[in-house]
Amino acid sequence: MKFKDKHRFVRSNMKKNRTRVWMTILASTIGCAFLIMLASIGFAIHKTAVNDVMSFRMVNEIQVVKENGRMTEKDVKKLEQVKGVKTVTRKKYVPANQLSLGEYHNFADVMSAHVPSEEKAGFELEKGRMPKAKNEIVVGYHFAEELRKDLPEGLSEEETQKKMKEFSYKGDLLNETLKYHLTTAGPENKAEGPVKTVDVKIVGIGKKPTREWARDNSVFITEELYHEVISVLRKQDPKIISDNELKSYGEVKAFTATAEDVKEVTDRIEKLEYMTYSIIKELKEMNVYFTLFKAGLIFIGAIAVLIASIGIFNTMTMAVTERSQDIGIMKAIGATPKTIKRIFLLESAYIGLWGVGLGTILAYITSYGVNFVLPIIIEQFVNEKPPEGFMLSYIPWSLTLIAVTICMGVTLLSGWRPAAKATTVDVLKALRRDV
Amino acid sequence: MISVSNLSYAFKIGKKGKENIIPVLHDVNLQVAEGEIVAVVGRSGSGKSTLLNLISGFIQSEVGSITINGTDVSKFSESKWAEFRLNHLGFIFQSFQLIPSMSAFENVELPLVLKGVSVTERKKKAEEMLKRVGLESFQHHYPGELSGGQQQRVSIARALILNPPLILADEPTGSLDSENEKQLLSFVKELNEKYGITFLMITHDHEVASIAHRKVEIIDGYLREEKTLHEVQR
Repeated sequence: MKFKDKHRFVRSNMKKNRTRVWMTILASTIGCAFLIMLASIGFAIHKTAVNDVMSFRMVNEIQVVKENGRMTEKDVKKLEQVKGVKTVTRKKYVPANQLSLGEYHNFADVMSAHVPSEEKAGFELEKGRMPKAKNEIVVGYHFAEELRKDLPEGLSEEETQKKMKEFSYKGDLLNETLKYHLTTAGPENKAEGPVKTVDVKIVGIGKKPTREWARDNSVFITEELYHEVISVLRKQDPKIISDNELKSYGEVKAFTATAEDVKEVTDRIEKLEYMTYSIIKELKEMNVYFTLFKAGLIFIGAIAVLIASIGIFNTMTMAVTERSQDIGIMKAIGATPKTIKRIFLLESAYIGLWGVGLGTILAYITSYGVNFVLPIIIEQFVNEKPPEGFMLSYIPWSLTLIAVTICMGVTLLSGWRPAAKATTVDVLKALRRDV
Repeated sequence: MISVSNLSYAFKIGKKGKENIIPVLHDVNLQVAEGEIVAVVGRSGSGKSTLLNLISGFIQSEVGSITINGTDVSKFSESKWAEFRLNHLGFIFQSFQLIPSMSAFENVELPLVLKGVSVTERKKKAEEMLKRVGLESFQHHYPGELSGGQQQRVSIARALILNPPLILADEPTGSLDSENEKQLLSFVKELNEKYGITFLMITHDHEVASIAHRKVEIIDGYLREEKTLHEVQR
């Protein structure tokens, strides 16, 4: 018997009991949609967590530290030789962090960085260029916003927040010359007496961070200026930085060409007895927990599918019972048990397919609706904006595939027994109308 | 065409291990030649339908053997029997056994569907067969919309659609009036004479038995006698 004929057969049989079949399809649809929706919450939380982790670091970045002691130039050279390493960035943090332009002040994250490696690692400028001369600097995208006049004292927290924008520097900082205060004093512990300053020129402004909430208030100074600043600071306080610290780096990061290389390169670096920390490593640990969480949700969702499958089992059992005489006649004139079984399996598969199809569509619509409506509700009732990129439900293609597999598997299993029962219909009893 | 040797059969009634065994057929031997019409007669409960069911493969016996068209079918599996029935046997039942949800055309084409014949060929053959039994204008009617005689003709068309060499008929005129009975019997005769189709018919109707070349009687499960057509007529 050809598939086309089996299909025709099944369709005409399904049409005979339209209400019953559609009710069963409805149960499967709800079961499938529930499974996808429930698991989609797990997938959404996982995705949000991954995005959160990824937003802080680059995927192809490996932070390297020594088990004992600090990273030196020798270590950097060693890392540069590791197969798969594209570049190694190194930074030295400077304890002096006050810069000013007239009455505007900024307490920034000042650091000395190796410019070629930073560029190779993907550091980009919004405008300007990288420093060439000793007193040239590059500032972060939000440096100008953080460069502000002293706020009047006695303001409430709310008023301070409002005034901050108002007191910020409004002009273009490129090519402006600032005064760099060579002191470790900050806004809380003001320096006593006169402080030595050096003039620094802003030659470049960093690109805006991809994340809306991320603030870049860093300042890159040259290696020569770093040494000058440190020598001045050491005169003020000889213990401020040791000789060892002076020769070493505060932060060393190895970069690979692609995210796929990170694991292999990490293994190679660890073989050289360095400790590493990469996003891939963090994600790996996180993924284990989330996979278990998602599996749990899928399991609970699958229970709904199982309940729906009872409906399919009942429908198919009734179909077999109702059609026992037809089955008997078909067997008498030459239908093999295999043909009979396939016809009934096909019928349950069609019910399952309709259920899965409609369930998936329903789940996608619900998911889209929830993600659209929920932030509005939160904003209305809690009076707070949900975090950027927040989603309650996320349905990746893999979840759809899992749900379809589970639903179809359960459907076929529930249709199996009635189909097998159909093959055992006794021809003589059926012909005598005894069944 | 059919060779039944030392065939015995007993029904088992009751729970497994505590069954009551009721013997129905005892050491039956029957030969049906190609192109013959053989009538199996006997009282109700004598075992004649059981013999037909055994030859049809609806039930199987552990004792004796059955050979049809040169093939020993005694030990066939259910699937093999189904295939064999489709390819070699045609059936005419007392209560027609048409599928009520299918039209006359669909019932007739069913064996072709099971065999996997193409739609075009199926349509051509089924229409031709319905025309042969005089029901071309009733092809879209459902069994419930046809008279007993018409239903039996649909059933015959279905039995003949795959040109089987042997037709097994169980009380074929049992549900027909005398007019339809006559028509059916003349059709059977025509098929036998024109196409050489072999018929094995179970009946207790003397009219039916009268068209047979041979009459075989079963009494209490024993095949008592075999008579030639001449003897039957005498």
